[in-house]
Amino acid sequence: MAFFEQHIHEAPKTFLSKYIFSFDHKVIGKQFLWYGIFFLGVGGIMALMIRWTLAFPGVAFPLIGKLMFPETGGVVPPDTYAMLFTMHGTIMIFYAITPILIGAFGNFLIPLMIGARDMVFPLLNMLSFWIAFVSAILLLAGLFTPLGAAAGGWTSYPTLSTLIGSPGVGQTLWAMAIFVLGVSSTMGAINYITTIIVLRAPGMGYFDMPLSVWGLGLTAILNAIFLPVLGAGVLLLIFDRVFGTTFFLAGAAATSGTGDPILFQHVFWIFGHPEVYILILPAWGIVSDLLSFFARKPAFGAKATALSMTSITILSTIVYGHHMFTTQMSPLLTQSFMTLTMTISIPSAIFFANWLGTIWKGSIRFHSPMLFSLGVVFVFGLGGLTGLYLGTVTTDLYLHDTYFVVGHFHYTMAASVLLGGFAACYFWMPKMFGTMMNEFWAKVHFWITMLGLNGIFMGMMIVGYAGMHRRLYNPFVYDFMQKMIPINTFITWSAIVMGLSQIIFVINFVHAVFFKKEKASDNPWEVGTLEWTIPSPAPNYNFKEIPVVKCGPHEFGNPNLTGSRDFQYQTEELA
Amino acid sequence: MSFFMPLLSAAAVDTATKSMSLWERMTPPEDISVHGHLIDWLFAYTTYLNIFFFALVCAGLFGFSFFYSAKRHPKAHYTYGNKKIHVIVATIIGLSVFIGIDMNITRMSNNDYIGVFANWPKEDENPLKVEVLAQQWAWNFRYAGKDGVFNTEDDVVYLNDLRLPVGRKVLFQILSKDVIHSLYFPNARRKVDAIPGRLTRLWFQPTKAGDWDIACAEMCGTYHYRMKAHLTTYSEEDFKRWMDEAEEKALSVNDPENPELFWGWRWDW
Amino acid sequence: MVARTEIASVEGRKITSSIGMIFLLVSFSMLFATLLLGYAIYRVTADEWPPMGMQRVPLFLPTVSTFIIALSSLALWKFEEFFEQKKYENLLLPFIGTVVLGCAFMGVQFRLWSSMKDMGIFVEGGVFPSLMYSLTWIHAAHIVAGLISLLFLIPAMVSKNYDKYITTVSNVSKFWHFLGIVWLLMYVVMFVL
Repeated sequence: MAFFEQHIHEAPKTFLSKYIFSFDHKVIGKQFLWYGIFFLGVGGIMALMIRWTLAFPGVAFPLIGKLMFPETGGVVPPDTYAMLFTMHGTIMIFYAITPILIGAFGNFLIPLMIGARDMVFPLLNMLSFWIAFVSAILLLAGLFTPLGAAAGGWTSYPTLSTLIGSPGVGQTLWAMAIFVLGVSSTMGAINYITTIIVLRAPGMGYFDMPLSVWGLGLTAILNAIFLPVLGAGVLLLIFDRVFGTTFFLAGAAATSGTGDPILFQHVFWIFGHPEVYILILPAWGIVSDLLSFFARKPAFGAKATALSMTSITILSTIVYGHHMFTTQMSPLLTQSFMTLTMTISIPSAIFFANWLGTIWKGSIRFHSPMLFSLGVVFVFGLGGLTGLYLGTVTTDLYLHDTYFVVGHFHYTMAASVLLGGFAACYFWMPKMFGTMMNEFWAKVHFWITMLGLNGIFMGMMIVGYAGMHRRLYNPFVYDFMQKMIPINTFITWSAIVMGLSQIIFVINFVHAVFFKKEKASDNPWEVGTLEWTIPSPAPNYNFKEIPVVKCGPHEFGNPNLTGSRDFQYQTEELA
Repeated sequence: MSFFMPLLSAAAVDTATKSMSLWERMTPPEDISVHGHLIDWLFAYTTYLNIFFFALVCAGLFGFSFFYSAKRHPKAHYTYGNKKIHVIVATIIGLSVFIGIDMNITRMSNNDYIGVFANWPKEDENPLKVEVLAQQWAWNFRYAGKDGVFNTEDDVVYLNDLRLPVGRKVLFQILSKDVIHSLYFPNARRKVDAIPGRLTRLWFQPTKAGDWDIACAEMCGTYHYRMKAHLTTYSEEDFKRWMDEAEEKALSVNDPENPELFWGWRWDW
Repeated sequence: MVARTEIASVEGRKITSSIGMIFLLVSFSMLFATLLLGYAIYRVTADEWPPMGMQRVPLFLPTVSTFIIALSSLALWKFEEFFEQKKYENLLLPFIGTVVLGCAFMGVQFRLWSSMKDMGIFVEGGVFPSLMYSLTWIHAAHIVAGLISLLFLIPAMVSKNYDKYITTVSNVSKFWHFLGIVWLLMYVVMFVL
């Protein structure tokens, strides 16, 4: 197959074409990064409000409570509480993690790491961001409708999410926002896949791609295949709400016909289970790379890691039933979903072994990206192993919809992905913005975040095991939960600490982007992948000359290397 | 925990249980069912295995970080990890996790599920039959009453108040009127969704008399957290006494003209 | 030395746009697959079909629209063939044929919906009407999008620039044929079976 080369595009001149409607993948990546960080803040404040309500029921939320809820004297009212956790889930999953990991780093890294000048469809790329922007407006508009935003949980199970359970416009806007965001993500995904297939630099086979690109590519495939499934589900939900169809209406409250509310759950989780891998795969890829970069050692079993990620991608599509054990599927289905779920642990264990193998006998430099990557290994170990309780049907009967589930998926989807995102942020900062972030404060940020999130999510698992279930405005109306008040208070304090520690990150980030004078060198981390062969920050055409790839991405410590370097650029012949 | 006490006292909730240890606070509510211990044991067993494997991960993570830091180990060992020995070790780790934990707990869970939790009481075991109708935000319970047939005018119907005998299997059929709820007995370690238009089932056998909580575990609207019912378990004799009284009362109190009364359904096995 | 091709060249654009288009169509087919799967589940789990004494939709109108859309696909296929052979003077007839037949398809769909209304099948009337209307609506929305995308063929016809417009022509026709295939499946699953 011939290799394709792109023109060097003229640098855009006007402000509008340079920063707003830019075709440049790097600028679009940065746009997604700001978008994601904004929503991370919004979702984080919502999380703090939720935690505050759980720990101190009936106490006014400090600082902004009186402004936001004047009619209750600053206390979060129960209906607002429902909106808060719904919006927290939706925002964090679809508007914070997806844009940061897939939108920002997917856009930024894929062309740079495979040696391309831009994405293959730059216009599609720009549209993908602006459609995501429209979707965000739709979602936030819900907050200002008379009956408030969507309040049916991020899963929005009907019949609660139909007109029976939530008559307001907010839920319709929610469904439309998700649909529009699905369109945006699908466009991005098609772009990523085509770019990876077509624009790899000459000499770069699939296994010469950095594992980050593997993770992002697999994510894109899952996105392209499964987002339309969710799209169909929410489309029917919108029809139910707007045109009066009865797909998901049943029981006494449905005036005519019998739909099936469980069908939505099936459709939702056919998408929803791959979605958790959509979120985590980029982080896995990034961590696999960073561990090797900072251990100064080739990634252990890189091929096996890539293939494990692929097999997890495939397995993730056929295990969704474990989210629905309590809806009482037939025992045969229950058994098969349980067994299939368990097989995911084989590839997971293999790449865990590979991660540890990578740092084994390495020469580890504990820079902040490495600390965050090691943090991912730690929290994902916890998150993955606690998944076993939820995959087995009998323990799931007890733990389903308790805080144990909340703790588990926050470990896998929030903690790991967040730490992976921070690692990526600290690591590619010089290439994105041309400056380094302050290393000392990065480490402070890491340790406080790590303590905070383990306090939060471990605490959640503890109260979940003790029987506290999810989405309760005031859990302490139940006698058996009274004893958990101190643990809940502890979780909330951990959350506050972790929330405040993010201010360190924001200041560090903003300072490095806008105010730092001192420029980073072209290759401050001494890494050999293609993006480090070009100046920092990356010029708008990326590569002056399209590189010819001659070795893999993780060439460290080759004994035949002469000179002071212990690494090898991918453009150099392996000695 | 004393550090948090000043803030706690500001909370509008009663904190009478101050002097508990952390362990007491994090244990699940008391198990009052014959088979709840199966779930508790599977949880504990999985925990032991998990601790073992997580300790391995931590040993690798912290041990390697300590021994192979750039200071202690300036020259990295050059390997791709694709030698035969590496592949074998990785495969062994993968398989040992799969066989050691996964298939182990899958087998246990499977046996428990098929043998106990999905092994519904037969008619000849004479279980106590209860129909449950969930609505926003309350639980309706219905016993068959004197004639033993559901949805007739002598049914014993209670709102948010369920009373069960000790030592007899109880079989629930559950339906929802409006949105999806989930009938959750923390003390029996059991829950099942209440779905509009679709019957679900649940059974357990209480072992201990006392007062307990029933909760709704599935988000069902603003007052989800208030959807709480009370469970009273009686000894066999006490239950019979209460049931006789309730059946008598039902005959006199139930108004056959009231269509609201007939929310039940014919019991099919 | 490896062979290098400019991505903006004809071959480059042909390959990239066909790969992109294939993944796009995979996405679209997942959307329709989910909808048809939902239809199948409702249908299989229902005791009787159509439920609640409703009548089946007569086959006449759907059959007509199936023929129409098949013909329009044929016309567009002809268009693509002429374009490939650079016989630009022959393009007008197949183009007009495609557009007219596409609009005729929409017209028949509107007839279908009003005839369903006349039969007493209303949108609010339970799951069967919900399915019949929603699935045909969603497909019709894509047909409208397809008709709009047909307009992109006009510059291709006028300019007679093979290099510039070959990818537009092949993408639009892929999308249009895809919609035809989806309708054929919907016809078989929803009306015939």
